[in-house]
Amino acid sequence: MRCIRTCLCAGVVVVLAAGNSAIAQTSANPDISVIPRFLIESNDGEKLAEGKRELSQPDFMFEELEVALSAYLNPYARADVVLTLPGPDVEVGKLGLEEVYATILRGLPLDLNLRFGKYRVEFGKINMTHPHAWSFVTQPLSQERFLGEEGLNDLGVSVSTLLPTGDIYTKLTVDLLRGGSIGKATGISDTSGAKPTYATSGRLSSFFSLSDASDLEVGLSGYTGIHDPYTRDRFWYANLDVKYKYRPSTYTSLVVQGEYLHNTRTAIQDRNFNPFLNSEGLPESRSLSTAGMYVYADYQFLKIFSIGARYDWSQSPYSSDDVARAFAVFFGYYPVEETLGLRLQYQNTRTEQPGGGQSVNLIALQALFSLGPHKAHPF
Amino acid sequence: MKRLACLCLLLLISVVASDAAVRVVTSLPDLGDLARRIGGDRVTVDNIVRGDQNPHFVEVKPSYMMKLKNADLFLIIGMDLEMWGPQLVDGSRNAGLTVVDLSQGIRKLEVPARVDASQGDVHRFGNPHYWLDPRNVRLMMEEIVTALARVAPSDEPYFRSNAEAYLKILDAKITEWETEMIPFRGSKIVTFHKSWTYFAEWLGLVVADQVEPKPGIVPSPSHTADLITLVRQGKIKAIIVEPFYDASAPEQIARTTGARVLRLATSVGGVDQATDYISLMDYNIRTLISALR
Repeated sequence: MRCIRTCLCAGVVVVLAAGNSAIAQTSANPDISVIPRFLIESNDGEKLAEGKRELSQPDFMFEELEVALSAYLNPYARADVVLTLPGPDVEVGKLGLEEVYATILRGLPLDLNLRFGKYRVEFGKINMTHPHAWSFVTQPLSQERFLGEEGLNDLGVSVSTLLPTGDIYTKLTVDLLRGGSIGKATGISDTSGAKPTYATSGRLSSFFSLSDASDLEVGLSGYTGIHDPYTRDRFWYANLDVKYKYRPSTYTSLVVQGEYLHNTRTAIQDRNFNPFLNSEGLPESRSLSTAGMYVYADYQFLKIFSIGARYDWSQSPYSSDDVARAFAVFFGYYPVEETLGLRLQYQNTRTEQPGGGQSVNLIALQALFSLGPHKAHPF
Repeated sequence: MKRLACLCLLLLISVVASDAAVRVVTSLPDLGDLARRIGGDRVTVDNIVRGDQNPHFVEVKPSYMMKLKNADLFLIIGMDLEMWGPQLVDGSRNAGLTVVDLSQGIRKLEVPARVDASQGDVHRFGNPHYWLDPRNVRLMMEEIVTALARVAPSDEPYFRSNAEAYLKILDAKITEWETEMIPFRGSKIVTFHKSWTYFAEWLGLVVADQVEPKPGIVPSPSHTADLITLVRQGKIKAIIVEPFYDASAPEQIARTTGARVLRLATSVGGVDQATDYISLMDYNIRTLISALR
């Protein structure tokens, strides 16, 4: 408690110091980057209900536009803003705030970093990576089912520290969140005007340099909150992430990355809001335990090409009988530099539910470019 | 008992002494070599980039942040060579770290009038490969001595005398290298990247063109074809390629024209023979002479 109080006081001191020096603000602009993604997609799942399997007419789609602004606020802190214009209709989409946060980078005791605002939470590995930096086109199923299309992105405060583990980089991050993000995954949003539900997340990660050319990162994350604001039912996620990268030269690299997410929750209804019933047909609250995972490998060669494959397996947050599996192969071409990219992906997704299942094939070609000095994503 | 006390005292002194050493991290191993020459046993030195790595593209790894976490000084080439540097410094969480840009006093070449991506990966403050002109080492060492002395003021005379002793040796080597290269003044060379601008200016060499059509852009077939004509017509004997670049385009030019592809190192450790700054320059100049002769 004393430690928390000390940290908060130090944070306030730094913020006040920043406030005092605001009089002498620099006239330099922040770094501004614009990254749009476009998609041509076709799948054979649209007429399955009519008993027909045929590829839909390929459609040109606007996937998303990301505008990133970042700059130092003062010698101790920086700020990042990511605005997004979602697709598919470029004409009617509204520019929204995907992230807006300030990070106090140095000057706090115990090597603490403090972040506040709205941001992609450090839960697992891929959740922190913006879609334009993925090697593939589609979001892994486990991420989509358990965290929602936007991932775990919430208002909150994050504190992280480096643990004293010698030369090994070990980071502990703890977040206190408003709890609004999970509603996007469950489909239950709180319209009652009740108090925020709050959520807590944390990640412990270690980075191992195996050789000059190969590195390994292992992370363990947890996330808990209230997934149903009306019943106050709680969920607990535990997530293990592993990333291995082998880069023998500037032109060649191999990335193998995977995550396993375990979900435990109590609920009174399934994903489609059908109430759980006991043997007598009466509503009951159930304790559920389900999971999801993905693993992919991506091989970059000749600097401008990459090829890879991904396997997804995921149960539903509300049912172990609702299972989705996907296998995807993808190819990337970055002519000249990574400022311009084309990604081609084939994916087969199979879903199995008590009432039956289906298999859908998808072919997608994504084009994107990066205008401006968007900084490299860390390992 | 006395012996044990003496042993403990010695141990304590050695611990204090090792703690008192200035902790230096450098971006390039060349700067590490210079820092070691100046700091001797009163500094500990580590570097981020290996000599056989492209210093323009360095992955932001947490292990590099750990190197900076306990450092006093981070010596960099500057001029935006280390675009990855600020992320490492931020990630290190080291409020006491001083970043020392060694380009302060350097006469900068190829400073662009206009910077945009149509020019390729152009550095807005000019070409940053100034350390390959050994005459610039004096200025770099002065900056390093000043930075070290700020951390350990009582050791300043020691740092200065080490720097002077090293510069005396380097000055003699510069004279030797310049003498060896006199017969080749005005010789044309082709380089893969614009890494050799300062080196060529120092030795009076003429860089006819680069294998990269623009800085940082991979060779294109049409530009390679143009280079074949240029190398043939200009009777160019040497195509210089850094150890980390793909030599297939230069080798194609060499096969057609009879020029030689030379793997010259831009940094210490880039080739086995380049164990320190002087042996790096020794290796580069001897290899170049063997091709230009």
